[in-house]
Amino acid sequence: MSASATTVPAELASKGLSRLRNFRLIPRVDTYPAVVAFAQTVIGKLVLLALFGMGLAYGSTDWLILTLCLALITFLPAQRRILVTISALLFAFVVPWKFFKQPFYSVALIVLVLTVGALLFWCATLWPRSWYGRRPVFVFLCSFSLLIVIASYTPQGTRAYQLVWDFTNSLSVYIWFICYSLLDRTAPGRDPFSLQLGSYRPFWGSTNTPFAKGAAYLRRIEARNPEQLAVTQLKAIKLLAWSIMLSLCGALFNYCAFGYLHIPQFSEALYLSANRTPLPWYHCWASILVGFIGSLISFSAFGHRIIACCRMAGFNALRNTYRPLSSRTVAEFFNRYYFYFKELLVDVFFYPFFLKYFKKNYKLRMVGAIFAAACFGNAYYHFARDLTFVQRQGLRGALMSDRVYLFYCVLLAAAISTSQLRHRKPAPSGFIRGQLWPSLLVLLFFCLLDVFGFSDRNYPLTEYFRFMGHLFNLNL
Amino acid sequence: MDHTAEVREFFKGLLAIRHDRQPFTDSTSFFLSGRLSSVDAVELVVFLEEKYGIDFAEIGFDQSQIDSVQAIGSLLRTVKAVD
Repeated sequence: MSASATTVPAELASKGLSRLRNFRLIPRVDTYPAVVAFAQTVIGKLVLLALFGMGLAYGSTDWLILTLCLALITFLPAQRRILVTISALLFAFVVPWKFFKQPFYSVALIVLVLTVGALLFWCATLWPRSWYGRRPVFVFLCSFSLLIVIASYTPQGTRAYQLVWDFTNSLSVYIWFICYSLLDRTAPGRDPFSLQLGSYRPFWGSTNTPFAKGAAYLRRIEARNPEQLAVTQLKAIKLLAWSIMLSLCGALFNYCAFGYLHIPQFSEALYLSANRTPLPWYHCWASILVGFIGSLISFSAFGHRIIACCRMAGFNALRNTYRPLSSRTVAEFFNRYYFYFKELLVDVFFYPFFLKYFKKNYKLRMVGAIFAAACFGNAYYHFARDLTFVQRQGLRGALMSDRVYLFYCVLLAAAISTSQLRHRKPAPSGFIRGQLWPSLLVLLFFCLLDVFGFSDRNYPLTEYFRFMGHLFNLNL
Repeated sequence: MDHTAEVREFFKGLLAIRHDRQPFTDSTSFFLSGRLSSVDAVELVVFLEEKYGIDFAEIGFDQSQIDSVQAIGSLLRTVKAVD
């Protein structure tokens, strides 16, 4: 009697906990057999597309053309990959046509860039044992760096100057997509260039970082039958719904933080600190915390939207941001916050180093590879992305103004290295010691690191240290 | 212990670190499905290098080669056949 009296509340509590753990704001419709079966019918597909289109219409100007592309891909799954290429070309040339200042010139530049990509890919596949064929990514990135040097030393005001810079800027948008194609050169069942092209700034969207990586990844995550397609598309709708919810939360958060509580933006706090009229330390903390949380929400929503479109096209891609707040280590947060950027750094910089150098010394090998990716690769990616600074300030000036971000990269790489070299063992049990405390420490670290990650290139490194001092009520 | 059992044990260890106690089969995808991350892939690479002498710099590295117990089995067979 007494035993049952003690177990009943315990059972109830555990049931309640498990119910709470399984609670979902958006129901798991992709696991309901009836819904999955319905999503495979013509009516079901039309309903899904209509729902998705309505979701896209919230905050996207190109929602109609995007939905039409998705509809075509949904109803012609056998031609999915080639339709992805056609859609990518549509979004590269036709959709932005009205935004081009000189449409024919801009189109010619993009064609030239894609031709360069095609030539590099064909050469790497035709002569895999040649000097170039064995290291095409390295050769390509070195050539691109050389092009930046040539562009920055071309005499200003000449026609060649404009031409070289326009080409370099256009190529910079595509370099990482081309890199993924080059990495795919030796894979069994490699796609021809016509299909690789679909992953060059795919129509579902991307930054300079290829979302859903390259053609090799798309091949592996593609839905193979109507059921898989239905499940993937249901996941897409769920993710889009989550993205919209996050956008709304983000807007509300920003209103509360900046509109109601009048917390200063980080840029404002830094400006005041640099002008020797710093805000009180608690305002400085509030500005970085609010900035960090706000960017976490908006970046998650942005990534979810892109991946939702990718899934709607029939590719079961992993989310770009996945529960970053639950990260227990620095490396885990880096992986969870911007997954496709981390994957790019790992594929292009980490593995080539890790597989080749310091094989006898694990620690040196690991630290070297992490610095190659999180420090050098990270800094190079941002330098190549922000070429307008090079054009405006010259190569030397841009390199000098990039020092703050370089410092950020060094700190990040050092922290990831430390995190990776510590003996990996299961986390201590218990929510507070095992999950909450490590997560809070990781978030605090990234929150502080973000101070150096925000670089508008207007202040020297010392001003960032001065601001850090203000956080702890120190006037440096 | 044969290769497959050793690889299975290694995966079990990686999953335990992540508190993942879900069962898996030899064809379960670990990296492409997101169940394990590229950080775990690095540990697996080191394990395969040290245990079976695989030189990924020589044969070329692709995450799909080590995505499941089955994929690793076929990689090991290919490498042995070449040797």
